[in-house]
Amino acid sequence: MNRLGRGAIMMCLGVVLGRLLWTGGFGWFVQQRMRWPLILATIMLLFLGGLECFRAINEERDAPETATRAVAPSIGWMLILPLVVLLSVAPTGLGAAAADRVDAYVPTQQNNPFEPLPETGLVEMRVFDFLDRAVWDEDRSLEDRVVRLEGLVVNDPAIPDGFRLTRFSVSCCAADGIPLQVALRNTGAPLENDTWVTADVVWIPPSVPYIESEGEWIIEAEARSLEIAPAGVPNDPYESPY
Amino acid sequence: MLPTGEGSASDHAHDYHSHDDHDHSDHEHAHGTGRFALGPWSLLLPIFVALLLRNRIGWFDGETVRLWSTLFVSVCVQAVPFLVLGVVISGLIAAFVSPDMVERFVPKRPLFAVPSAGLAGMALPGCECGSVPIAGRLVSAGTPPAAALTFLLAAPAINPVVLISTAVAFPGEGRLVLARFLASLVAAMAVGSWWARRNDESLLAQLRHEHEREGSRWSEFVDVAARDLVHAGGYLVLGAMAAATLQLIVPRSALDLVADNELLSVLMFAALAILLSICSEADAFVAAGLPQFSLTSRLVFLVVGPVIDLKLVAMHAGVFGRRFAAIFAPVTLLVAVASAVVIGQVLL
Repeated sequence: MNRLGRGAIMMCLGVVLGRLLWTGGFGWFVQQRMRWPLILATIMLLFLGGLECFRAINEERDAPETATRAVAPSIGWMLILPLVVLLSVAPTGLGAAAADRVDAYVPTQQNNPFEPLPETGLVEMRVFDFLDRAVWDEDRSLEDRVVRLEGLVVNDPAIPDGFRLTRFSVSCCAADGIPLQVALRNTGAPLENDTWVTADVVWIPPSVPYIESEGEWIIEAEARSLEIAPAGVPNDPYESPY
Repeated sequence: MLPTGEGSASDHAHDYHSHDDHDHSDHEHAHGTGRFALGPWSLLLPIFVALLLRNRIGWFDGETVRLWSTLFVSVCVQAVPFLVLGVVISGLIAAFVSPDMVERFVPKRPLFAVPSAGLAGMALPGCECGSVPIAGRLVSAGTPPAAALTFLLAAPAINPVVLISTAVAFPGEGRLVLARFLASLVAAMAVGSWWARRNDESLLAQLRHEHEREGSRWSEFVDVAARDLVHAGGYLVLGAMAAATLQLIVPRSALDLVADNELLSVLMFAALAILLSICSEADAFVAAGLPQFSLTSRLVFLVVGPVIDLKLVAMHAGVFGRRFAAIFAPVTLLVAVASAVVIGQVLL
């Protein structure tokens, strides 16, 4: 890899990362809090890449006989691959295919103290908090409350009148994503996998407390209303476990 | 003039580490394909083809392909800031740290150098991708390899960011955070001491060659940062491909089979840490999501992951050489597992 190639590949990386940051699409791959580190890294890539290209062009003019010598190992060409994959496959984050491969999150311990919910009206909540409250809240604050959850559709033959409303919890990048799932009933017309929805739901208390039930804990809720997100995949599709 | 083979490698040895591994391929490419064949213009070709194929061919719509791509790209994107931070530091080391300075500041005796290098690891926030080029440059600048390797292993595991995320993932389990800190530090220092005792300079000789600065310090900084970035970055991409593939082949739900057997689950978590190649800032959340296993076996996952996994083996082989990686990886794995099991038994 010669100097011009090295500079060009850094520029390409910088441009593609910059575009992901500009459109917000980086949120499909990493947590939102990576925004600033990524912005700084992108600036550094464009700066180093630009400088290298500039030096390569100068070198070509001043000393053409050494300008094409190799200055970095050819393994560096591998860096084109993520760009090619991004442009050709255009992945848009974790969805039903990933949810089917990884065990869903099970709230085996209470994670946060439960603040009292507002007295009346609709409550917006993370899917994570919904699961946490459903299993561990001794005051059963979820009972008869309409809660707004956001997530995507994962169809499950075991839920004929609904689907698993799924949101992934991602702490760094999508590779560590863990699905958070609520079995949603009574959702009306069937929806395709990976459709993003905003659902107003009411918790269905289990007949036997979760902790005493054998086998998989299924946290169920009934859909009161369902709205399909018009914009497709949102730019912040993941919940953070923090 | 194009480089034409091994003979010319020495002429520009200061331009990049002349590793046996990739020297050949580099020269073959440069030699065989002419001036622009591998120049920057060829970048445009795969990108152009990618854009052309984007909506044309059905294979890119397959669910598995899309999931693989998501995993692959996300590991790469996640690593970029840490890699850039790492190469900026490695560039600064190469440009501003002379062997004389290292001699003055780094204790000569491994007895002192190894523990201080381990604790110095606390100062580098981030995950493992950045510490590889830094450790490589530390060795080039004259740091005793034992100390540099201790730093390499300690930095991704015991820095504040990783410890805080471990504490968040395991609320109320402060002892696990302490156990992770101690087990990782002990493992790093043990590997460092082993290297000091082994005292085999030949394996890392390629990092040690004399290298003369060309131009100003800042031009040296740009040169080294750019070189380390494409070098370590290339291996990172390789490792990310392997990790994405194995995440698909080894579903995490296949684990329940061994939950009852402590020995099996320790072995399984060690294997999982290597195969999944999850960033050290994130692995605690994955371990927290597997509550059916004992804390000790999950500690193994947290101690092994930051020091040895697929993408790290690829990067070690690239930066330090294949022969080094072939010896270093198994030793590190054994030491890390042993350290985690012993400290887990005592503390958890």
